[in-house]
Amino acid sequence: MATGFFTDATLCIGCKACEVACKQWNELPSDGFVFSGNSYDNTSELSGTTWRHVAFVEERAVAEDTVVSAWSMVSDVCKHCTNAACHEACPTGAIIRNEFGNIFIQPDVCNGCGYCVVACPFGVVDLIGHVDPDGVLYNLATLHDDRREAEQTALQGSGGVAGKCTLCYDRQRSGFVPACAKACPTESIQFGDVDELRERARVRVETLQARGVDASLYGADDVGGGIGPLNAFFLLTGEPESYNLPSQPVLPSTRQAHGYAAGALAALALAAVGFTIFRGR
Amino acid sequence: MNDTYYDRPLLKGPHWGSNVVTYLFLGGIMGGLGLIQTIAGSEKTPEAIRLRRDARYASFALAVVCPPILISHLGRPERFLNMLRILKWRSPMSLGVWGLVAYTGAAGANVMRELADEGTLPRWMRHLAPKVLNPVQALLGAFIAGYTGVLISATAIPLWGKGKTHIPAASVCSSASGACALSSLLSTLGGNHTVTRKLERLEMVAALGELAILRHFRTHAGPVGAPLFEGERGERFENYTVVAGIIAPTILNLIGQVVNLPKPVDAVRTILASTLTLAGAYVFRESLIEAGKLSANDPKAAHRQPQ
Ligand code: SF4
Ligand code: SF4
Repeated sequence: MATGFFTDATLCIGCKACEVACKQWNELPSDGFVFSGNSYDNTSELSGTTWRHVAFVEERAVAEDTVVSAWSMVSDVCKHCTNAACHEACPTGAIIRNEFGNIFIQPDVCNGCGYCVVACPFGVVDLIGHVDPDGVLYNLATLHDDRREAEQTALQGSGGVAGKCTLCYDRQRSGFVPACAKACPTESIQFGDVDELRERARVRVETLQARGVDASLYGADDVGGGIGPLNAFFLLTGEPESYNLPSQPVLPSTRQAHGYAAGALAALALAAVGFTIFRGR
Repeated sequence: MNDTYYDRPLLKGPHWGSNVVTYLFLGGIMGGLGLIQTIAGSEKTPEAIRLRRDARYASFALAVVCPPILISHLGRPERFLNMLRILKWRSPMSLGVWGLVAYTGAAGANVMRELADEGTLPRWMRHLAPKVLNPVQALLGAFIAGYTGVLISATAIPLWGKGKTHIPAASVCSSASGACALSSLLSTLGGNHTVTRKLERLEMVAALGELAILRHFRTHAGPVGAPLFEGERGERFENYTVVAGIIAPTILNLIGQVVNLPKPVDAVRTILASTLTLAGAYVFRESLIEAGKLSANDPKAAHRQPQ
């Protein structure tokens, strides 16, 4: 059994309660006060310290002299992939699949090599910058003692490690729903057993399609490229690219055999040439 | 193809800077020297034996320098040893770290053998480094020369993924030509001229092999290759790696093969050719990493990831 998220774009009202709840529960630092100019999306992307990101797809259409806006929002998150690139890449074993079937980074094991960052086909995980000692960026003094000690504290005192959604490992262990799902006022984010969520999503997408909505599931089934189904999957209207979800993700480790073979071939050829040159006087 | 999300990048680029580039460069040469010490050792002339010794010393020196450079790029350097708590076949970085440890062991043992043979260390110590460690160092060296290419192509970065065969093969060639260049530089400075010709012949083959692979990669990659082959980055790559780092030293090395230059002039020629090759090899690694950053920022390439 694995737990996961079903995030439904047709129910999202773009309130960003999930983003705020996540930041607050996980004691993650601010993204700074930046206006992107891209609709209402000033968060812009997931990062080492931003684990939910509401994408705003705002389309302007002109109909009979009036300009109307068509909106679609969806809350992006780590996909907790069946075959997770980050999990395979991590050389320290910091990234594990925990007892809930979620991909979790142990912040006290990670040494900040950054390999998971380039491995993730969804651009989710990132390194958390070092926290400056004055605590201007993030006031460590405000942390409760027990939280500072806690393994789940994402910043691990001074950053320099990789960060991404933990699927609220700590809350799940205490029998609570993840903060984002709890805060979502429209049930756009649903948390639960993945198989059950998939069933629910299939019914939902059929209902919508019957009503003539251009709805489809992303990641409920195998996304291809060797990744398999996603344990955090989405119901979208329109194409995945428009929400910054890759239409053709690939599990990078599938390329390794080719790489080693090509490297070995080159080395063999050069060694043969080398032996001929040196033995040949 | 549909519009992407406000043209924002889909992927996160590498956080790797000049310390990683330096490691890729020096580590490659270190591995290449592992090959050279075996190849040279197959010939029993005094000059070749001297070359074998020089290659072993140089390679071991690099094995000492590389780990600190590698560690310096970590977000939490004090946790470097966490990489040695686990071995993962599916992670080239994990395999590479263990490869580095094994290589350092083999290279160190072979240096010990040289020193024991020479009389600097007690003679019995040569038995601590059995003969088999000679080919072992070559095999591990070949792995070290190429695994960094596999490491970067086993990522989501479109340019690197597209080069899943080209980048590892070109890395091996670049490592080999760099190792030849360093060896001929050392041999020339040490007055060991006979082996220089041979090294330069091998260097030419490796360099031309690299050139062929890079040319093929360019056509194979198409628009995904733009960050490496076009624009300012592409110009730097073309000028330093291809023209100054491959073509120019190959011409110089060719001159050395066919024209009988007076010794001092010939020495200058070798020094020049070697320096150019080494500089080109550095820019090759730098270009790969920096172009990877640009590639990560291209959402069009990132949405349809190479197989
Ligand atoms: S989405 Fe990325 S970070 Fe999340 S589990 Fe998959 S590979 Fe890892
Ligand atoms: S940055 Fe940390 S979690 Fe990511 S691969 Fe490196 S050690 Fe593993």
